[in-house]
Amino acid sequence: MIDLPDPKPTTLAARERIIAGLRALLPEGGVIAEALRLKPYETDGLSAYRQVPLAVALPETTEQVASVLRFCHENGVRVVPRGAGTSLSGGALPLADAVVIGLMRMNRILAIDYADRLAVVQPGVTNIGITEAVRGAGFFYAPDPSSQLACMIGGNVNMNSGGAHCLKYGVTANNLLGLKIVTIEGEVIEIGGAHLDAAGYDWLGLLTGSEGQLAIVTEVTVRILRSPEGARAMLAAFRSNEIAGACVDAIITSGIIPVALEFMDRPAIHACEAFAHAGYPLDAEAMLIIEVEGSIAEQDDLLARIKEICARFDPISLKISQSAEESAAIWKGRKGAFGAVGRISPDYLCMDGTIPTGRLPDVLRRIGEMSDSYGLKVANIFHAGDGNLHPLIMFDANDPESFHRAEAFGADILKLCVEVGGCLTGEHGVGVEKRDLMTAQFTAVELDQQRRIKTAFDPDWLLNTAKVFPLTAALAPAMPRAA
Amino acid sequence: MQTHFTPEQLRDPETAVANQILRTCVHCGFCTATCPTFVLLGDELDSPRGRIYLIKDMLESGRPASEAVVRHVDRCLSCLACMTTCPSGVHYMHLVDHARAHIEETYRRPWHDRALRALLARVLPHPQLFRAALVAARLARPFRFLLAGKSVLAKRLAAMLAMAPARLPAPSPIERPRAHPAAGPRRQRVALLAGCAQQVLDPEINAATIRLLTRLGVEVVVAKGAGCCGALTHHMGKHDDAMAAARANIAAWSREIEAGGLDAVIINASGCGTTVKDYGFMFRNEPEPWRTRAARISEIALDISEFLTRIGYRPTREPPGLTVAYHAACSLQHGQKITGEPKALLRAAGFTVVEPAEGHLCCGSAGTYNLMQPDIAARLRTRKLANIAATGADLIAAGNIGCLTQLAGDTLPVAHTVALLDWMAGGPEPAAVAKAAPRRDAKAS
Amino acid sequence: MSALAPADEAEIAQAIGEARARATPLLLAGRATKDGILRPVQAETTLSLKNHAGVTLYAPNELILSARAGTPLAEIEALVAGAGQQIIAEPPDLAALLGETEGAQTLGGVVACNLSGPRRITAGAMRDHVMGLRAVNGAGEIIRAGGRVLKNVTGLDLCKLLTGSFGTLAAITEITLKVLPAAETTATLVLPGLDAQRGVAALAQALGAPFGVSAAAWLPRAQAARVGELAGFAASVALVRIEDFRPSVLYRGERLRALLSEFGAAEILDEAPSRAVWRAVRDAAPLGPVGGHDAVWRVSVRPSAGPGIVAVAEGLGGRCFLDWGGGLAWITAEASAETHRAITEAARAAGGVWWLMRAPAALRASLDVVPAEPAPLAAIARRVKAAFDPAFILNPGRIHVGL
Repeated sequence: MIDLPDPKPTTLAARERIIAGLRALLPEGGVIAEALRLKPYETDGLSAYRQVPLAVALPETTEQVASVLRFCHENGVRVVPRGAGTSLSGGALPLADAVVIGLMRMNRILAIDYADRLAVVQPGVTNIGITEAVRGAGFFYAPDPSSQLACMIGGNVNMNSGGAHCLKYGVTANNLLGLKIVTIEGEVIEIGGAHLDAAGYDWLGLLTGSEGQLAIVTEVTVRILRSPEGARAMLAAFRSNEIAGACVDAIITSGIIPVALEFMDRPAIHACEAFAHAGYPLDAEAMLIIEVEGSIAEQDDLLARIKEICARFDPISLKISQSAEESAAIWKGRKGAFGAVGRISPDYLCMDGTIPTGRLPDVLRRIGEMSDSYGLKVANIFHAGDGNLHPLIMFDANDPESFHRAEAFGADILKLCVEVGGCLTGEHGVGVEKRDLMTAQFTAVELDQQRRIKTAFDPDWLLNTAKVFPLTAALAPAMPRAA
Repeated sequence: MQTHFTPEQLRDPETAVANQILRTCVHCGFCTATCPTFVLLGDELDSPRGRIYLIKDMLESGRPASEAVVRHVDRCLSCLACMTTCPSGVHYMHLVDHARAHIEETYRRPWHDRALRALLARVLPHPQLFRAALVAARLARPFRFLLAGKSVLAKRLAAMLAMAPARLPAPSPIERPRAHPAAGPRRQRVALLAGCAQQVLDPEINAATIRLLTRLGVEVVVAKGAGCCGALTHHMGKHDDAMAAARANIAAWSREIEAGGLDAVIINASGCGTTVKDYGFMFRNEPEPWRTRAARISEIALDISEFLTRIGYRPTREPPGLTVAYHAACSLQHGQKITGEPKALLRAAGFTVVEPAEGHLCCGSAGTYNLMQPDIAARLRTRKLANIAATGADLIAAGNIGCLTQLAGDTLPVAHTVALLDWMAGGPEPAAVAKAAPRRDAKAS
Repeated sequence: MSALAPADEAEIAQAIGEARARATPLLLAGRATKDGILRPVQAETTLSLKNHAGVTLYAPNELILSARAGTPLAEIEALVAGAGQQIIAEPPDLAALLGETEGAQTLGGVVACNLSGPRRITAGAMRDHVMGLRAVNGAGEIIRAGGRVLKNVTGLDLCKLLTGSFGTLAAITEITLKVLPAAETTATLVLPGLDAQRGVAALAQALGAPFGVSAAAWLPRAQAARVGELAGFAASVALVRIEDFRPSVLYRGERLRALLSEFGAAEILDEAPSRAVWRAVRDAAPLGPVGGHDAVWRVSVRPSAGPGIVAVAEGLGGRCFLDWGGGLAWITAEASAETHRAITEAARAAGGVWWLMRAPAALRASLDVVPAEPAPLAAIARRVKAAFDPAFILNPGRIHVGL
């Protein structure tokens, strides 16, 4: 288990009073406090780490969020925001003395504006829920994390979620226009709006990906885009990771930016095929899913260019999807990859580093060596266009020793990512999982700089404490030096 | 996901299965968003993942079920949308069935809850009793105002009264055990699950099924001794009752297999179909010959839409110019993973088929759910009807009597898919069509 | 006035450290082409980064380029163009508009001011493509943020916070940008004779179509007349740009022409005139020469509110045109507190923001050159400023008084 800060004795002692205070602020059923009912809130998508919270609050409005935060601030109570609880980095892991603020009840779409191409939604709306709401008019919301069915936009904002299509469309930060936030003091602030660019500091950019360290998001204005005329995927299978990596380079330098460019290694191909039956080539060492968009003729043109490039790399097979159903099946395998690994292994850790794309073959080779020395299997999925690597380390949680090896293996992979010029996380966030690895990427000065920004928003460090920043210092934040 | 069962606990085969299921879950949370109760209630505890966690805790601890577990498991519709979504293949259905049995064994419900469950378990599976109860309910309807209270009991009784159709169809002789010969040369021989509640609420569904199948050269047997599939009691955790019902069916159909062979067991109420297809699992630990017989029945069990797709369906009438909103029953789309066939058949029959938004969400019927959880069921019904209304359809088609009853009433007329298919292939016009026609004509003019 | 122009990062850090120790305010600059934007800085000493120059990394296959802040943007543009790539946000050169030397601006200046061109509406701003940077904060400490990879959510996103912070938080010393392949060709649909309302409606239709429009602008007749390639229309023009492989550009041009037929017959400009037109739009050239008594505003609103801003600007006797599908208004009018109030009130009423891009120094010093922040946010801003620059010595007052 991960180290968590000692609970504040004062908070634990005041538990009953805090719960009564919260109950007074929220509608009936808005506060969960019985031990048994708190248990399912003890973890999120990273179930290896668990901690039952003090209480769970389920507000339904921005005003209720503000009143809960004001109350927690006045009483020095720590707060952990939570949406769908799909974080793979433990972003919603509670603390024993924290109130979990669940935003799942704030799940309404407030406005859709096609002329200005935006939607205003509450944080509990699922990622796919936005696209579903505007699909009828031919629009979509671009970032598409694999968990898009379940993950909520509030969590996407806080983790700056990406997805398979962000090579072309960007990540969450590139697709937002505005936020409504509540500060720990309970102040409601509107950031941005329906226009582009901030005049003054880019608060929108800072808050996006801030992992609940700075404020709680209660409303999000997203850009919606017109869907392309069509999209089609192709599969290209290769004899080695090196060859597939070289092919990716060749595609990018030819001037083509496919809308998605996904890489899977042999174990990943097998796991996903067993789940999706998409016709993945089981004899390949590496496979690319390449997707292009446009009219049929445009797709044909681009796919022909890409096929010609792939053909130079001695592919085992090249298969262009012939229908929307075939493309959907191809993506079903990729998007279900994490869970699909759950079919071949009782548990897995999903890592999320980024590397310079050119280093892929080298990095995969070294991950393979680590896999042998740790005695744990690993499947690799890679957003090849943007260097985001997802090694899925398989282990057995009922065997504590296996879990410890998996943790160490994962840490080694992320350190390797940093060593080759990459970083610890591309789209899952630091959360609690990579917190203590931050020193591998940042100097003490740099971490202090980030901590001081947190302090500017949250002077008492009540918001999502013990995440993002290495533990020891997080509880003794460096205060801004004399201003 | 990590589990904490003792080796002793795991020696119990039921617990071993539960452990296996729990170990498959990776806690990714994909299931939450497609769960109707999570969407409505916004609480992890009312999501599949939350329930799995509660169940895990209950089973691991070996303690009797607590009020909290019961409350949240009871709210589960068993719509199985979570199983469609789950990328890891967690068999939630078997887990929640097991939990319900555990609850039934270890938890003492309030008196009115027990009474109601006992009543439903006693009445619904038996057509004569159910019919009598509906007649009584109709007589009680004028006294609904007496139930204006906010108590669970009052709401449940009100829901029961609301469910009783204003006009009860006359009993039909068609479900009596006999063989209905194929018209012309016999191509196939099948047994039809005549069911229980459905034949009281709408006997036309079985009649249409038999007409359509015999016309297509299929001999349809209503087997002596077959009755309720066992789903109603199974979902209440009444394990023994469910097994008894299932055993009767297995026996009846096995006799038919020995007597004249069966190409299929046809089910036209998809809620029942999900259970019949699970007989093999339910009897996995039973002594032979039951284990083999149950597995055989599950193998040949088919929804009517699957069977029609297999043998081929063609209409004989001209397209009616009607737009049908196809409502995918959870037991079909999630329980049996049948999604394309009913729509393709309706299109082949000449209907324009539209699909409402949020098609994966349950309508709130879910067996006896609309009686046990009237508030949630009513909210789901309203949401479903709004989504259907937005399609601009003339009528609703579905393959499950529960959904048809739930969605009937204040908006569009409802019809079983097979009734529409039978009509277009020469059968009588379903009552819903007459109600839908003015809508169509108004749109046309 | 003294001026420092160190050539490496350590010297920059040392200079800032010393200034902090003495609590001496610094005016941060590159080649000082943008000093006229927003508020004037009261500082004895100028710290220029112009000598800290040079491209340090360019990996076309990884779509990544790193360069020191003082590197002239033109040099970078030429380098990436040589590999068939481009800076995605198409940053403008506002030298002519601001009365400065054209072609002199540095990468650091463009990033510090977060200046983006027409492609911003579909491809994002400069801030969207700053993947990593190095900087020296107001304590003289060297900090890095982001990285040299295309995706990174490790810790707080200081790249975004520093981009567009006008040097008030830290001196950005090196920047890593995401770059992309330049399109094979480009073309522009011109719809003449539409008023602002109809013009923006046409742009909305184009941007809401599945044809990959990469820029959309509307120019009144007088402003169109200032662009050689458009003068012949002798009318207001709605402009819609497509950039892609040749077959796509041809196909989409025709589809858009058909789609927009209700707005009249569109003419299609091919590559060369198209490039010239968008370069002019990018650099706000259609505003024409700006005199010493005039001011320039940039107003960002929801696109459908653009025509309302045009009406206000024209009512003030100013000149104006719209980029970003109608969402960015470039305005020039008489430099006065009254015109400023009228324009900023219109922007605020439309839920938008403004930047005072040019005005006499005295006026700039006395106005809200960007919107004031609500009190709770202003308090946070002050604390964030202190978190970077504890002695408040970096470009003090550049954006807001006292910050």
